[in-house]
Amino acid sequence: MMRKLSGLFVALFGVVLLLAAENSTKVKTFTEAQKNYWAFQPLRVAQPQRSAANPIDCFILTKLDAKKLALSPQADRVTLLRRVSFDLIGLPPTPEEVDAFVNDKSPQAYEKVVDRLLASPHYGERWARHWLDLARYAESEGFKSDETRANAWRYREYVVRAFNENTPYDRFVKEQIAGDELWPNNPWAKVATGFSRHYPDESNARNLMQRRQEILDDITDTVGATFMAMTYGCARCHDHKFDPILHTDYYRLQAFFANTAADDAVPMASPKEMQAWRERKANWEEKTAPVRKQIATLLDPEKAIILKDFLDKYPGEIQDIIAKPAVQRNPYEWQMFYKAKPYLTIEDDAAAKALKGEKKKQYAALLKELKEFASLDPGDASLGSSMHDVSASAPPTHRLNVGVYDAKAEEVQPGFLTIIDPAAPSIVPPADVNSTGRRTALANWLTSPKNPLTARVMVNRIWHYHFGQGIAPSPSDFGAMGGKPTHPELLDYLSSDFIQSGWDIKRLHKQIVMSATFRQSSAFNETAGAEDAKDKLLWRFPRERLEGEVIRDAALSVAGLLNESVGGPSVYPELPAGAGKPRGGWKVSESAEDRNRRSLYIFVRRNARYPMMEAFDMPDTHESCGRRNQTITAPQAMSLLNGKVSLEWAQAFAGRVLKQAGPDAQAAIKVAYKLAYGRSPDGFEKDSVLTFLSKQKSLVEERKVAGKKLALPTAMPAGYDPAQGAALVDFCQMLLNSNEFVYRN
Amino acid sequence: MSHKRQPVSRRDFLQNSGSGLGAIALSAMLSAESVAGAVADPLKPKKPHFKATAKSVIFLFMEGGPSHLDLFDPKPALDKLAGQPMPASFGKVITAMGTSNNTIMPTKRAWKQHGQSGIWVSDWYPEIAKHVDEMSVFRACWADGLNHVGSVCQMNTCSILAGRPALGAWITYGLGSANRNLPTFVVLTDAAEVVGGPKNWSAGFLPATYQGTLLRNQGAPILDLVPPESIGDNQQRARLDLLKTLNEHFSADKAEDTELEARINAYELAYRMQAAGPEAVDLTKETEATKKLYGMDIEDTAKFGTNCLMARRLVERGVRFVELYSGSGSGWDAHSNIEGNHSKLCHASDAPIAGLLTDLKARGLLDETLVVWGGEFGRTPFNEKGDGRDHNPWGFTMWMAGGGIKGGQVIGTTDEIGLRGIDKRAHVTDIHATILHALGLDHRSVTYLHNGRAERPTIVTGEAVREAFV
Repeated sequence: MMRKLSGLFVALFGVVLLLAAENSTKVKTFTEAQKNYWAFQPLRVAQPQRSAANPIDCFILTKLDAKKLALSPQADRVTLLRRVSFDLIGLPPTPEEVDAFVNDKSPQAYEKVVDRLLASPHYGERWARHWLDLARYAESEGFKSDETRANAWRYREYVVRAFNENTPYDRFVKEQIAGDELWPNNPWAKVATGFSRHYPDESNARNLMQRRQEILDDITDTVGATFMAMTYGCARCHDHKFDPILHTDYYRLQAFFANTAADDAVPMASPKEMQAWRERKANWEEKTAPVRKQIATLLDPEKAIILKDFLDKYPGEIQDIIAKPAVQRNPYEWQMFYKAKPYLTIEDDAAAKALKGEKKKQYAALLKELKEFASLDPGDASLGSSMHDVSASAPPTHRLNVGVYDAKAEEVQPGFLTIIDPAAPSIVPPADVNSTGRRTALANWLTSPKNPLTARVMVNRIWHYHFGQGIAPSPSDFGAMGGKPTHPELLDYLSSDFIQSGWDIKRLHKQIVMSATFRQSSAFNETAGAEDAKDKLLWRFPRERLEGEVIRDAALSVAGLLNESVGGPSVYPELPAGAGKPRGGWKVSESAEDRNRRSLYIFVRRNARYPMMEAFDMPDTHESCGRRNQTITAPQAMSLLNGKVSLEWAQAFAGRVLKQAGPDAQAAIKVAYKLAYGRSPDGFEKDSVLTFLSKQKSLVEERKVAGKKLALPTAMPAGYDPAQGAALVDFCQMLLNSNEFVYRN
Repeated sequence: MSHKRQPVSRRDFLQNSGSGLGAIALSAMLSAESVAGAVADPLKPKKPHFKATAKSVIFLFMEGGPSHLDLFDPKPALDKLAGQPMPASFGKVITAMGTSNNTIMPTKRAWKQHGQSGIWVSDWYPEIAKHVDEMSVFRACWADGLNHVGSVCQMNTCSILAGRPALGAWITYGLGSANRNLPTFVVLTDAAEVVGGPKNWSAGFLPATYQGTLLRNQGAPILDLVPPESIGDNQQRARLDLLKTLNEHFSADKAEDTELEARINAYELAYRMQAAGPEAVDLTKETEATKKLYGMDIEDTAKFGTNCLMARRLVERGVRFVELYSGSGSGWDAHSNIEGNHSKLCHASDAPIAGLLTDLKARGLLDETLVVWGGEFGRTPFNEKGDGRDHNPWGFTMWMAGGGIKGGQVIGTTDEIGLRGIDKRAHVTDIHATILHALGLDHRSVTYLHNGRAERPTIVTGEAVREAFV
């Protein structure tokens, strides 16, 4: 018994010691292995042993040489053009573009294509989508009601513009972390801070202390993953088990954001336009003052009731904070106040629901009266969403035991990853903004040429999106669990070069896609396969299934339906039959032009991704995603095979084919192949399709005789046999479903 | 802590991904060992960690929060304290509606002990009460969320914040599929959309293949399961044959790329599901007697009864996890008029659930099917608006039956007013660990590497309640 007890005592004492050690605030010591870990070392520029025209090839060939392997021969021109087009703009080349490239005998033929694609406004659309995965971008709140965030799309717009304008990456980072402090007069720099604004949120939250902490955690995790490829999340509760990220480091990083709150009213118009808008609004307000006053008299008592009911549901301490005179609130209380603030204004519509009888009639009459002034009303101002500091002094940040919001341990000051930089940052509040300056300090640190992570992380991301595999295998986890880089010298060379070029993203793309490594064929080679089955050394170009967005855009493009206009609010294409409307709404866009915009513009409802995109692995928007899953599933097949919308694509595609090819089946097959694959059919394909068309025509004929509905080509010429037309639609739809269509080869 | 090897390429991801709704046997994937060699088929049902007592789970989710105080947890003290504020000794709680200063509200129910075991059930559940000898009743469950969306999310994923995989997704990941023509994880609703929507059956960070499939009540049960009516069945078959010809031609010089082959198989599977899906939910094959057993002959019980019967058909066909919402869209959320609200929902679910238990038993399926009943939380002893109850995540009742569960026992106790669990408490993570245990899975060993951490279904806590088992 005694022995057992003493054993227990020892065990308990051990736990206490362990806890004491965990809680210690003194500087931790790191092991040599941790200090020497590759990702934390300064960039090292080594000369590759092999020479080649493109430095990338030098590094790749050096490793291939060592295994007695070689690069594969260059891919054929059609394959290469499709590859580079999908990669850079996310769209297939048109038949005209294919012909132009195939027939261009100049040595600069390929380079011209690359320059054209990088200059295309569709380039920004393509690369913005990658970045939106990292930003866990969505246009609604999530949680129960999943309310629409009306201006969230401005951030998407910002990202498209930034890529298209080739904003240097260091500036891109600074804008997203601290654009409001650094460029307070630039609305786009403010909208850029929307990067942190895309956290899921709950309008119905009662425990605002906990809610605020959850938001801060979300921001910390997202910033850590996106800019540093560090899985900070593990350090929320304790020191990271595998990487030298301290429990304190989590809260040091979080402290940079401790004073932030959403600002969803960033004026997007120029000062002059805003002034004009204000004048018009003032005029409307003046003219409508009497009627609005009467409305207020009716609604104010109802609003007071709703507001009281709402406030009563908060815990007492939150109610006290809201009731307090502003001067008495401390920074933390201001945080609570800002969390509640959006819900303290009751909309007229909500209050009007409570009116009954005579008052209801009166209200209706007043509304009618108000509507008479509608032509004077300039409507809502054009606004963007952002994050800003609520004042110049931040509430204290504490290390939290096991990450629990009210289990406060010692206070923590803003700071970087200790193993890289244990020093306290220099934080200077900006002169002309009521802000702490904390995020500016973080942005400056991240974009310092000395930071070992930032350039490596971005270069690796871009490489990953081009090749389907990173040089470091986990683009958002450079830690020990993320795997080692296959070509560390190449990563360092490109990163260093990237910084020296002024963080020039388009230049990096060009470097990559001009390389022989990128241009080589994806064909298999048994010798190399036996040596390096996973193609880690890149002895061939890795074949990859296109993302759902690209498949849809390519299908629309081939069908001649794609609306290529760039930018603007999101659109709502049709949902599959019987899908039901998600909470928060889905009002299908009225015009086909809107429904047929690029997938980038499909509204992103956090709780219900667009079904086709969800099936094709579009990531959940509740957290940052640096590498999409790549699955092959039956629902993907069903979506492309059975979807009403995908049949419409095929009908339009067939209509386009008929228009170009005329009634001859052979000519139709040729045109369809050229549109879908950029090439001509071979003999086997021609025979197979001809046989199919004739058999399918008979099958459809039977259905026609039985009075069944047929799916016909769009705008089928009069006199064309409907059974033949339906068979052609079937063929066209199978092209859009085929492996050759959905793979980047 | 055990960690899986980090997937380093998309091919690794494919190897990791398996078998939710119609994932494909990616057999013969490229592997480090052999270029053309066969890799274990990730679709094949995987062996559990230890001997399972259940093959399938039917989770009866009373959405909105049923009142344990009026169903399974009688508290005489409520009568004594009726009309008084909660005694200070119970401390303070933050509630969803700020009602903790309201007065105690007694139950209006008549209570009786049932079966051999003498377990108490109120007169709201007369038919279910007949099955108490098959149940372990967990009276001291607890959760972390205050409001519906977080709590429903937690009951599904263990976390009040969205983004983690649902239990059904973990089970699919852990056990693979027993019927490739049907989804492995199925969700059925009886009213509005579940609060939080598809997040609740999401695969989270697991590959999309593991996510749950919401079976719709009307038309084709799965989105895009069948082509538009302008495409006939023969026509569809011929389309697929053409597609196969084109795809095989494309693959002729790419034999090493088994992913391309997997995609060909995906289309064949989609075609097979076109037939298997509707058959599984086709209730015309059931006898009138069976339908009556589930209450399908009475309007009030027909809807949930239909879903209960579908659940039985699905588990018969190898579906591993069927989640059945009663009052979907927060139907049980009785902030006011609990009498009206619960009378209706109890009536609508009582006969169907009892029928399900009877039918499963008669068919010898109860032994291999774990039936779980509960909501995202219970309700408060103090009133809201005079005749309703607020949310109570600190102490509430769930029960399990079948699938190796020991019948006729009560596990855990709440305090004398039923506010908090005080003995043998079972957190949501413990409940999940227990469900996984019945399926032969150790909740600590079902792991998936994500963002540098070997994630598991129960996050960082949870313990299977062993005494619940025979």
